[in-house]
Amino acid sequence: MSEMREPGFDRTVALVLRAGAFSCFFVMLAGLIVGWFIHGAIPLLIERIGVLLMLATPVVRVIVACFLFFREKDWRYGWISFGVLLILMLGAVFGIGEH
Amino acid sequence: MVTALLVVLGFCAGLLGALTGIGGGILLTPILALHFGIPIRHAIGTSLVAVITTSTASSSVHLQRHTTDIRLGMTLELATALGAAVMAYLVGYFNRNVLEGLFAGFLLYSSIMILVRGGKVKEGHPAPVSNGDLEIPPYQPQRYPLGLAASLVAGAMSGLLGIGGGPIKVPVMYIFMRVPLMVATATSNFMIGVTAAASAIVYYRRGDILVDVAAPLAVGVFVGSLLGARLASRVHTKVVVYLLVAVMFYLAGHLFLDLLRGTL
Repeated sequence: MSEMREPGFDRTVALVLRAGAFSCFFVMLAGLIVGWFIHGAIPLLIERIGVLLMLATPVVRVIVACFLFFREKDWRYGWISFGVLLILMLGAVFGIGEH
Repeated sequence: MVTALLVVLGFCAGLLGALTGIGGGILLTPILALHFGIPIRHAIGTSLVAVITTSTASSSVHLQRHTTDIRLGMTLELATALGAAVMAYLVGYFNRNVLEGLFAGFLLYSSIMILVRGGKVKEGHPAPVSNGDLEIPPYQPQRYPLGLAASLVAGAMSGLLGIGGGPIKVPVMYIFMRVPLMVATATSNFMIGVTAAASAIVYYRRGDILVDVAAPLAVGVFVGSLLGARLASRVHTKVVVYLLVAVMFYLAGHLFLDLLRGTL
């Protein structure tokens, strides 16, 4: 099934992405502005939060879609979304190859 | 000072990306490596953040026009995310020169392909439509195994070079999976966020994302791509594309020269 017959679904996912993009933008901007006046750890920390928010946004998008699919009892795509989430999490756990 | 320069660089990459459909990552990585003295692996990780920013901002627009096939995207993301995460992990074992050589080769290949197609970036980069709902013919995606295989490759390319991989996914969805072009483009864009995040998480854990570089870049990219999306219908993009190709040739040449001299 690949028909776009659920405008509400699209809207919810779009909302997640928009919220993520805008909050990252403002957090990073705040980091830059603070960095203009103060040097050191504080602006860097704010910028780090912004970057982490950006990395988290697609993950949250997958979680929300997974939840929506399961709520619609669309098991197949619910589990597919869950699989994508697992792959993203594996990267976070095993991605420590420092050399 | 450098921070301001990075905001401007991000702005230009975001603007050009939205105008032409050439993702920002392909320009940002070599510019960071060549002109900001950032090691290529850090440059790739850092530009991935900008790639996620672009995809997130633009796919929220596509979603509201209901041109994105979330089910198809999610299915193919199984492959792109896997390819991206595994390749991002392997990149940790790659020699710097190998990475630079690969990137230079990819730049050269992409710019030649754009020239061969007569200035078209990918199959029919869709004209932005402002008037409400779009007419999408009914369709059923075909040949999932082929689509998944191509997505695995696109994901691996993304994890290797810090790019989105749209030039692979869009034609595969359109030609082989029989998905309408508009849907293929929107869905590819939608997938880039998760694909880039899969590799960016690995890069981040390895310490390959420079936060103080990524933040100003992403701020610039965000503003640039929003402006570009608005201007896209009013600007003659062909001139911009040729300008970009010239920049890509220059960057590829610069990378090759540095490799030959062994100085970088």
